[in-house]
Amino acid sequence: MPLETEARAEIRSLISDLKPDDGKLLDALHRVQHRYGYLSDEALEVIAEHLKMFPSHVYGAASFYDEYRFDPPAATTVRWCSGPACRLENSNGIRDAMLAVFKLKELGDRTDDNQVEIINGQCNGACELAPLIWIEKQIEHKRDVVGKLSVARAIELARTISNGEYVEEGNETAF
Amino acid sequence: MANMLRKETKLHSEILNIENSYTSIKENADLAYREWCNPIRPRIDVAIDTSSMANGALEIKRELIKLVTERNAALDVSQNHGYGMQWLNPLVTITWPDGTSIVYGPVKLGNITDIIDEAIDRSGAALHLGIGLLSGEHSSLINLREHPFFKNEPDERRLIKRIGFTNPDSIEHYIGTRGWSSFARILYRGMTPDDVRQELLDGGLGGRGGGGFPAGMKWNFLAGASDSEHYMVCNADEGDPGAWVNRVILEGDPHLLIEGMAIAAYATGSQRGFIYIRDEYPLGVERVKNAIKQAEEKGLLGNNILGSQFSFQLEVVRGAGSYVCGEETGLLSSIQGQRGQPRIRPPFPAQAGVFMKPSNVNNVETFSHVPLVLQNGSSWYKEYGTEAMRGTRLFSFSGDIPYTGFMELPFGTPMKDVLESCGNINPGEKLVAIQSGGPLGSLVPASALPTLTLENASFVPYDAMMGSGGIVWVSDRTHLIILNEYISDFVEEESCGRCTTCHGGNQRMTEIFRRIMAGNGRREDEFNLKMIDDTLQHSNCVHGQFSPKPMRNLLQHFRHEYDALVVDRKDSTLTIPAMTQFRVTNTADRRIEDAVAICPVNAFKGEVGNRSIDDEACIRCGACTEIAPNAVVREARADISQSII
Ligand SMILES: Cc1cc2nc3c(=O)[nH]c(=O)nc-3n(C[C@H](O)[C@H](O)[C@H](O)COP(=O)(O)O)c2cc1C
Ligand code: SF4
Ligand code: SF4
Ligand code: FES
Repeated sequence: MPLETEARAEIRSLISDLKPDDGKLLDALHRVQHRYGYLSDEALEVIAEHLKMFPSHVYGAASFYDEYRFDPPAATTVRWCSGPACRLENSNGIRDAMLAVFKLKELGDRTDDNQVEIINGQCNGACELAPLIWIEKQIEHKRDVVGKLSVARAIELARTISNGEYVEEGNETAF
Repeated sequence: MANMLRKETKLHSEILNIENSYTSIKENADLAYREWCNPIRPRIDVAIDTSSMANGALEIKRELIKLVTERNAALDVSQNHGYGMQWLNPLVTITWPDGTSIVYGPVKLGNITDIIDEAIDRSGAALHLGIGLLSGEHSSLINLREHPFFKNEPDERRLIKRIGFTNPDSIEHYIGTRGWSSFARILYRGMTPDDVRQELLDGGLGGRGGGGFPAGMKWNFLAGASDSEHYMVCNADEGDPGAWVNRVILEGDPHLLIEGMAIAAYATGSQRGFIYIRDEYPLGVERVKNAIKQAEEKGLLGNNILGSQFSFQLEVVRGAGSYVCGEETGLLSSIQGQRGQPRIRPPFPAQAGVFMKPSNVNNVETFSHVPLVLQNGSSWYKEYGTEAMRGTRLFSFSGDIPYTGFMELPFGTPMKDVLESCGNINPGEKLVAIQSGGPLGSLVPASALPTLTLENASFVPYDAMMGSGGIVWVSDRTHLIILNEYISDFVEEESCGRCTTCHGGNQRMTEIFRRIMAGNGRREDEFNLKMIDDTLQHSNCVHGQFSPKPMRNLLQHFRHEYDALVVDRKDSTLTIPAMTQFRVTNTADRRIEDAVAICPVNAFKGEVGNRSIDDEACIRCGACTEIAPNAVVREARADISQSII
């Protein structure tokens, strides 16, 4: 058994009430990611130990899901809505233009300085605002929705995000 | 004999206890709800739901509270759920002591003073934002039941009757509107689990998440399962993009779902339940958790519910962004902490579900109808709908229409009437297709509109399905293949990876669509697409099996568009990047330098006054034409217009 460090003890305290073999793995992963922004190797180990699972099982399961991440998040995450109502409003053009501004190749990529990442998002039923993107700060759990975008507006937003000048609009949602 | 008598008396007193416990809970709740409807001083409710929040509702609420406090106004501020007209969000409702209740929208920060003034003195300061009445009368406003958007809804809403009328975070409001009464009555009337299942079978309640399988029949399977440890599972994964009907219940009336699950658990001998909610619905997670906690506090969930012998533990599992976890066996695997891969059947969930114990999975809406059927009887439930699909269901509408939102509609409602209430297709555009049933659904041609109704049978002749509530109206503004490429890519990304047919097939399909969109369509593409279709039929689950439908629909119903792309290499919509080009038509236009500045790839060449676009560099995003519509055009690309055949 690895040495109990302060870091491990803190992770363990987040999940101490969860029981093994009780359908609690997703919850444990969510709690830890909510706290640290990602799932470190150490965290996966502690979760495995606590829930009496093999670390390989924990990683194998966690890596199945898009929302779990295994590296610290970028300072800003742009989540691009891939849904149908947005596609009908040239969201593909918005995606390509934002990628170009960030000088990134495809969704899922991040800038070398870790300032920005752009990821694929799913429609959550605010389609009256199509086309839309979410601008997120993972660590602070802040999420801004910017809707009824034009490509030009998306480019301007992407430029302010790149320059670190983006100011939240207050259309935040809980997360 | 004496023994039996004692048992009878004990049973009798137990039943009396149950009734008494419920009655005392109900008396308090009735009082609380009466005060909500006729408050001592005016109250302003901000609609807080995912769509409202995206439109800035939280900020509106914060500012309202701030201003009310600053002005020391004799007003209260609370929350409800949006009524369904999402294009008018954010919505605000004012309720006065006399019971008049008016909905306003869209309420922007600049309107807050008007709203507060209106709430205080009813002088009409916010009348310009008035949409309609929830209750009471007004000289110039209609009742929302008469709003054209809800023209096709039943006179009274059934499933979503509380939406807008309650605070979803209040179990008192739920109980004060006859909530938890079906469940309590089952216990104190001593209805047996068999009776409950029979009532549902009589009503013909069909599943709302998949194939419409009768809920009562599924419950019979679980009730009859050998093992005594049973699980009741709610599928709240709602993954179909463009469908958000389950969300309305999770966020708008979570107590209804929970009561439905408690009844289902009682009817099937389940001791434990899970509600699996998609990660994209954080507010749904919060509200459902809160509703569970409140029910536990009232003794309506947990051990010995209302003092009876029946116990039921319910908890929420939050998903983590996987579409295929909505497939019921994938869902079971995911709850167990495994990869969310659909299982191989048999065994079926009723034999081996969560933790390999007998389980039953139903959709959010299926459960939510249960208390209503039991409260009002099966014949009431059958008043709406068709022979094959009984009752009403929630639908969400989006796409190329002016009015995006949700409605509760009877099965069988004519689609042309529905389109009318959505405000018809956007001005200047023509309906081309109806995207129904999400990525595993269909593309129905506009020519079907006269005969299409909200019943699956009317979709079938088009090799199509109605699906689980999401309807996207598609106009001639965008090329359909953009949706096909999106869908096949989605299915591939979300494939669990078990079957090569499924992930490999959809990958190939996407590649073919992309090549066609790049202007390199081939004659044999159709043959290859059909081969992929055949292969996909051998996949393990519906994810793979249904995925070729939208592609098949493209070939069946949109032949002309497909041939134009592949044979003539023409895109009349000018929305496919590689088949179009951008060209400067007026170098002297005053907005041209703005277009140059916005271009994300510096594609403009030449000096000021002599700008042109470098076609190699241009990524066809369209920003320049938005900025300088009189200086840059998007047109068919000149060098690919020759046919291959
Ligand atoms: C890939 C895939 C995704 C699905 N997603 C959902 C979903 O998000 N919600 C849902 O209720 N059913 C979904 N289903 C259908 C479920 O497998 C199942 O049929 C349904 O939950 C049964 O509930 P019902 O009988 O109440 O309709 C999905 C099926 C497949 C194949
Ligand atoms: S059909 Fe697709 S989603 Fe279903 S089991 Fe096979 S690979 Fe997984
Ligand atoms: S379409 Fe986009 S990339 Fe092309 S010139 Fe216009 S702004 Fe630049
Ligand atoms: S499709 Fe983008 S919000 Fe619904």
